[in-house]
Amino acid sequence: MFTFLLDLGRCIGCQGCVAACKTGNELPVGAQYIQISEKTTGSFPDVTSRVTNKRCLHCLDAACVTVCPTGALYKEDGLTRLDRTKCSGCTYCVDACPFGVPKMYEERSSKCDGCAAVVKAGGEPWCVKTCPSNALMYGEREEILAEAKTRLATLQKRYPNARLYGETEAGGLGVIMVLPDEPGAFDLPTNPQLPLSVTAWQKVVQPVSLAMTGLSIAVTGVAAVIARRNHVQEVKRLHLLAEAELVEAEAVVDSGQSDSNQSDSNQSDSETVEREERAA
Amino acid sequence: MARANLQITRRTFIKSALATGGSLALAGSLPAAATAAAGEGVDLSPNWFYGGEIKQTYNCCSMCPWSCGLIATSVNGRVYKVDGNPADPKSRGMLCARGQGSVSFMYDPDRLQAPMRRTGERGEGKFEEIDWTAALDEAGAKLKAIADEYGPESVAIFGHTAGDFWFTDYLAQAWGTPNAGKPSASLCTNPREEAARLVYGTAVGGHEPLDWDGPEGAEDGGLQCLVLIGSHIGEDARNTVMQDFANLWARGGKVIVVDPRMSTVASKADYWLPIKPGTDTALLLAWMNVLISEGRYDVDYVAEWTTGFDELKTHVQEFTPEWAAAITDLPAEKIIETARVMADNLPRTAIMPGRHVTWYGNDTQRMRAIFMINALLGAYGREGGIYFNKSPYIESYPHPPFAVTGSAGGCCAEPGEESDELPLGPTGKARADGARNSFLRGATALQELIEPMIGGEPYPIKGLIVYGVNLLHSLPNPERTKAALKALDFVLVIDVLPQEHVAWADMVFPEATSLERYDDLWTLPHKTPYIALREPAVEPLYETKPGWWMARELGLRLGLEKYFKWETAEEFINERLLSIGSNLEKLRAAKGIITQNGKPYLADYGNSSPFPTHSGKIEFYSEELALTGHDPLPVYEPVEEPPAGYFRLLYGRHPVHTFAKTQNTPLLSELYRENDLWLNEDAAAAAGLANGDYVMVENQDGVQSGPVRVKATPRIRSDAVFMAHGFGQQSKGLTNAYGKGASDAQLISRYKLDPLSGGAGLRVNFVKITPATAPTAAVSNWDDAVAVQSKIKREA
Repeated sequence: MFTFLLDLGRCIGCQGCVAACKTGNELPVGAQYIQISEKTTGSFPDVTSRVTNKRCLHCLDAACVTVCPTGALYKEDGLTRLDRTKCSGCTYCVDACPFGVPKMYEERSSKCDGCAAVVKAGGEPWCVKTCPSNALMYGEREEILAEAKTRLATLQKRYPNARLYGETEAGGLGVIMVLPDEPGAFDLPTNPQLPLSVTAWQKVVQPVSLAMTGLSIAVTGVAAVIARRNHVQEVKRLHLLAEAELVEAEAVVDSGQSDSNQSDSNQSDSETVEREERAA
Repeated sequence: MARANLQITRRTFIKSALATGGSLALAGSLPAAATAAAGEGVDLSPNWFYGGEIKQTYNCCSMCPWSCGLIATSVNGRVYKVDGNPADPKSRGMLCARGQGSVSFMYDPDRLQAPMRRTGERGEGKFEEIDWTAALDEAGAKLKAIADEYGPESVAIFGHTAGDFWFTDYLAQAWGTPNAGKPSASLCTNPREEAARLVYGTAVGGHEPLDWDGPEGAEDGGLQCLVLIGSHIGEDARNTVMQDFANLWARGGKVIVVDPRMSTVASKADYWLPIKPGTDTALLLAWMNVLISEGRYDVDYVAEWTTGFDELKTHVQEFTPEWAAAITDLPAEKIIETARVMADNLPRTAIMPGRHVTWYGNDTQRMRAIFMINALLGAYGREGGIYFNKSPYIESYPHPPFAVTGSAGGCCAEPGEESDELPLGPTGKARADGARNSFLRGATALQELIEPMIGGEPYPIKGLIVYGVNLLHSLPNPERTKAALKALDFVLVIDVLPQEHVAWADMVFPEATSLERYDDLWTLPHKTPYIALREPAVEPLYETKPGWWMARELGLRLGLEKYFKWETAEEFINERLLSIGSNLEKLRAAKGIITQNGKPYLADYGNSSPFPTHSGKIEFYSEELALTGHDPLPVYEPVEEPPAGYFRLLYGRHPVHTFAKTQNTPLLSELYRENDLWLNEDAAAAAGLANGDYVMVENQDGVQSGPVRVKATPRIRSDAVFMAHGFGQQSKGLTNAYGKGASDAQLISRYKLDPLSGGAGLRVNFVKITPATAPTAAVSNWDDAVAVQSKIKREA
């Protein structure tokens, strides 16, 4: 399971990563997978300024994957891939991402896919390869976490408020960040979540309604079976009744052949005829 | 795409090709690169490395003068990617944003494509395309005519970028013009190099020799305390320096930054001293006062390796922290505290020499103060302090004696070659830039060669060759430069792009970019002296040619056949490599890099002194300066202050741009298209300006530039404004750069000459700002601005 390390202590905002990514991935004008900026607070001369670094964080439980109706977004080797040829342009991913990562480019979503093709061909992600500040790493998750913790220990001597970001946030990120300060100082959400509407829809309503649909189909099926059985039984019962009456009527007809019972037999004949007519 | 079976055949060689570099060819064929029509769910994942045979070649990045070793990856004759060469001591396998922009730079659609002869007036930009033979014959004839009448000394050669050697060094010396030089000298490093020679005997050289990592194999032997005076690492995005800084910072090294602006590196520093501009020398003198009066200097080192300490001690007694606090606008406690932090870490403390130090015209003395502090801290030649550079050993090409000697210099000048006598050209003339008159010593001062072009004193300069210098953005007072361009008999411009000065040429030669040609071997004084290969990745585009070829062709027409018996750059390079038992093939096999042993520390010099001064020691007191009527010890000279309502104009770098070179490069322009005017947020509010508002900038001489976007920020003092250099470009042939932002060069209409080094102090202009309307999208068209009647069939 691959993971990136992004060390915002070392990052000096040189944009080597941005340029390498755009070049290696042949991204056209207007498409960019990494955005570097600054966040400044305070007033002269007591100023704090931080380099911010926005890129896909390859969430382990990615909201974009959850909402994508076509499967264009999917997880692979721990990273979040995007097959644009399957993208329908619905923009659900843009709305769902807690970090605002996917951008629409020419009516399709676009974002970092962890340099899938490059890595498969034996290379390393372009950003990692070029970073002069050694702020980026790429490797197995355990290795990356261990390195992140080592870096954090040293960084905390300079910034006691330093911490990691991505070990557990949003269910765990595919980019483990080393932050010199709390997430807000880097324009990162402190407690990133899927939007409630998405959680509600994707994780509650959809499964529940699917379950309900399934249940109602099952119930309908069972009901149909029971109904069918009842019907068959009823028809049998009616046939049996009809047969029993016929046997009785024939017995009456046989006993109605002597003089002493003529008037009765005449009455019996006409009663028999009436019964038969009713049974038909 | 059939990926499954591809992975097996591709994996092994692409892994090494992409991850480690090397020249490899693919056995077997690959499917052609898949393409999809735009807008039909276009797959943005790369597939260029599936498109054919992958070729990898070595070169040094030419996107800035740092020259990081790189590997260029090309497929089917097109370069797709560059990456750092892991074997190169500068790049160590990494590249900055400008380096990554190399590919975009070479495929810039605005590139010059064929030789052109001027048809309109100088400055109109009207040209006709001609063939190379006609262009060379005519240029050669014009240059020869000047030399026949006035001597070759009357042609000035300005050069910069990777191929400058062929013009500013080889052709200039072969022919006999001492008026050859690079802007990196008097517009950048001269004060530093001359101060270094005065204090410890050699120039700093090309690579600032801070011993970041310490001795080989030492776990924790590197620099511990870094002091930056105006250096803005990270925005000045020199690759190796960013690498070294990140390591120092991450391991807890102390960082002290002195800068009127909170640069990115200042935002990471332990101390940011927001000094009043122009007062740095006062701070340095006060630091010396603290170190000496508190006994916090390296006493043994000073006793063994320096002279003049007693004079220095007496000199700095009056320069107390309190004295400096009033001048610098810094608290005295901070001055004391930072001096103590530097001392706590000695000898593994260094004030970075910086690079572009031509600020106020008194810069050599400021640089001397910096080097003296490093000496008080015992840093020179100490592990984890400042090492001694050593040049790699390799012979020059075996040419006949030159007509004039003395390299043009610049930031990479060989140390120790500056002699007391100026070299004379064939008609007995020395440099016309005022060396030994208006300034004491230093490499050729380009801005001082402009007056002789206009006024003819000390003798007329009638011709100018400009190779790779963005002339109107590099020299102060561009209007004066235009007057000179009008007055010259012949102007030859050699460039890659239609930069502004191209419109002023009589003849334009289009050069192939560095990835399309050979250049001379890259050699650099360094801790690990090394030699690097620069070979082409692809054939030159359009009708462009390499600089070496043009220099040779011109040389042949100037009667210089004996210097140009070599016919190709490969021959030239190979001949040089033979002198160290190597050749082109061996160099290639060695991954393009040959390293040699350095002599970085005192111990490497045995009983001899590593300081080639007169005394053999570091000299706090300069006899030479005393004898020539200058201050033998650095003094603080106040600089002129901005008048009311004006701000001092400061300029610097942005991480994705280099000088005025890259503003048109499509990729880099996209990342930072126009510069911002940094303005203190309170000053902005007082002027009724908000972040993002546009303003016009006007200097003390009424010169204007803009409109430029305001960046209202607490990260800068209220008495100065700052902008990234190289914007406000006026060439309509530059689609991306035209009309974007403001030009600091335009606003630097005056400068102050440093009498010691010839450096041009450029931070002496003051500006006021007025609101302006935001510019509408400037649409430019090459044909509008430069009417070209093409006589050569162009490729579609």
